[in-house]
Amino acid sequence: MSPSETLALQRALEQHRPESGEPANILRTLIGVQRILGYVPASAIGPVADALRVPEAHVAGVLSYYPDLHAAPRGRRVVRVCLGEACVANRSCDVLAECQRILGIGIGETTKDGRTTLERVYCLGNCGVGPTVMIDETIYGRVCPSDMGTVLSQVDDRPI
Amino acid sequence: MSVTIYLSNDTSARAAGADRLAAAWAEVSDVHIVRTSSRGAFFLEPLAERDGPHGRLLWPRANRDDLTRIRHGAGGITLADVPFLAQQTRAVFARFGTAQPLLLEEYRANGGWRGWERADGLPSEAVIAEMKSSGLRGRGGAAFPIWYKWDAASQHRADRKYVVANADEGDAGTYCDRMIMEGEPFRLIEGMLICAKAIGADRGYIYCRWEYPAAAATMESAIAEAERAGLLTIDQRPFRLEVFRGAGSYVCGEETALLSSLEGGRGMVKVRPPYPAEAGLYGKPTVVSNVLTFATVAEIMARGADWHAALGTEGSKGLIALQLGGRIRQPGLVEIPFGATLADVLERFGGGMVEGSRFKAVQVGGPLGSLFPESRLSIPLCFDRFSEAGAVLGHGGIVVFDHETDMVELARHYMTFTADESCGKCAPCRIGSVRARELLERIERRNGTREDLALLADLGATMKATSLCAHGGRAPYPVLTAIEHFGDDFDRRLTTRSQK
Repeated sequence: MSPSETLALQRALEQHRPESGEPANILRTLIGVQRILGYVPASAIGPVADALRVPEAHVAGVLSYYPDLHAAPRGRRVVRVCLGEACVANRSCDVLAECQRILGIGIGETTKDGRTTLERVYCLGNCGVGPTVMIDETIYGRVCPSDMGTVLSQVDDRPI
Repeated sequence: MSVTIYLSNDTSARAAGADRLAAAWAEVSDVHIVRTSSRGAFFLEPLAERDGPHGRLLWPRANRDDLTRIRHGAGGITLADVPFLAQQTRAVFARFGTAQPLLLEEYRANGGWRGWERADGLPSEAVIAEMKSSGLRGRGGAAFPIWYKWDAASQHRADRKYVVANADEGDAGTYCDRMIMEGEPFRLIEGMLICAKAIGADRGYIYCRWEYPAAAATMESAIAEAERAGLLTIDQRPFRLEVFRGAGSYVCGEETALLSSLEGGRGMVKVRPPYPAEAGLYGKPTVVSNVLTFATVAEIMARGADWHAALGTEGSKGLIALQLGGRIRQPGLVEIPFGATLADVLERFGGGMVEGSRFKAVQVGGPLGSLFPESRLSIPLCFDRFSEAGAVLGHGGIVVFDHETDMVELARHYMTFTADESCGKCAPCRIGSVRARELLERIERRNGTREDLALLADLGATMKATSLCAHGGRAPYPVLTAIEHFGDDFDRRLTTRSQK
């Protein structure tokens, strides 16, 4: 971790130190750390364990369990294509294939410039207006494969 | 003349373009934009509304240029013109599409909070008795009688008890919990307060999946609002309510896994008993129900148990919130009494297949439910009849697939999901789902044999009988019903197989 990341981690851990008489919460703490650093570096496991007074193995176990906790940095933007059944019925697999083609990466991969990570997600609860694509926290509905070029380039134009 | 235009702020309405309309029209003088909950008729979104002489006027699939017509009240239709909405029996969702989600005063003025006011004046036994005579069963999938859980948690003496809303609405094709949290957040708070009063809890958590950022944010604002208004108090004691965000694990929708996750650990399933009502969060008595269940509790307390018990069928009292999706013209939320047949629902509300598509199958109950072919659509939507057929209503998700759907691909898709999301605690699910996926991949590549189908059936039977929770225990159903009803799709792949 860089010095600024170390400092940010310390601040995050201050916020998640358990109140007296309350149990520590590893998951909540890791989500908090990830919100600040973008991921949970391996070097953060020790400080998290110390702050919560739990074994490092417990922290590592929680970190490895949850699909949305990331032990490595990801793209600055995350594109998620919904593969819930309602979207699949409406051909979201074609949308995913088109994203793979445009970005030149597979599921779970990040573009070489570090800009974009592509993921699949099982249902965003947007089934009424699927197929659905989520880019960071913005949800797009009724997406066709042919829309993806525009959607991705619009997102690329946004300041990071 | 100034005009107030209502646009939904629901995630799906926004994904369909409501934000773009709101931004464009907000710049026009004399136009006042109000963001509301959604009616759930998502095929109409973005849906613009204004007040007319006899109630709301609606402009479905509105675009920017509709502003002039809306200003003049030209071309708007009424609710009665939308059979999808007019034919429903709305209760929990009755006010959806009309009110602003975070206006507590509006919620109360429109009839909200009456359930809590009534419960507040009753002894806890009377509240539990009300649940018992209402016949309410959990709406999250397990359909367990609510009063029984409440009674058990109430009887157990403990220094602390918890109420937990399961907002990990993970079944693909479902969204009613998201709609409630985004659209009428105070209703969930009200239902949880009633439960807390009945069992003697002083803490509550809403476990919300990360895929619902807007729902979590709305709930947090609503809790803060209710706190400011001094409403989070039970028998003069403060009730502490918090939103807890998950990190993407389907199994965390299972109640013991959810509680492990809420404690901050790996979201893995535990053997029951003990049930959470006796030993749940941190080992304390805990009632876990999904969002729709708590939302229904508030309605039952407001209207009385008899109202609820008079609706539906013998074993399935009340209303079911169906969430229609897939290859149909009219995807959206349908709230009707239990007991209508699947065919009836698809015909009356689904609006037919999208252009160029023919019906092939319908999935009911999410990824752990069953596939139904056209010949099986006469089944009534109620717990008992589904159970007799070896199926589940689950969370009320109904997804329609068309003639172009390849059932081998779909079955492989289901099993990939099961393997991806298995928590790994028990071997039948952890290993069985991977082996089943591999078998299906082999068939998909045209390398499968008839013996592979027999192996799948055998593996499915083992997973059903020996898995620790419904994830492994029900995962074989979509695959086995696909093979049962759409054997041709599988046979086609087998007959042209390459020799191994």
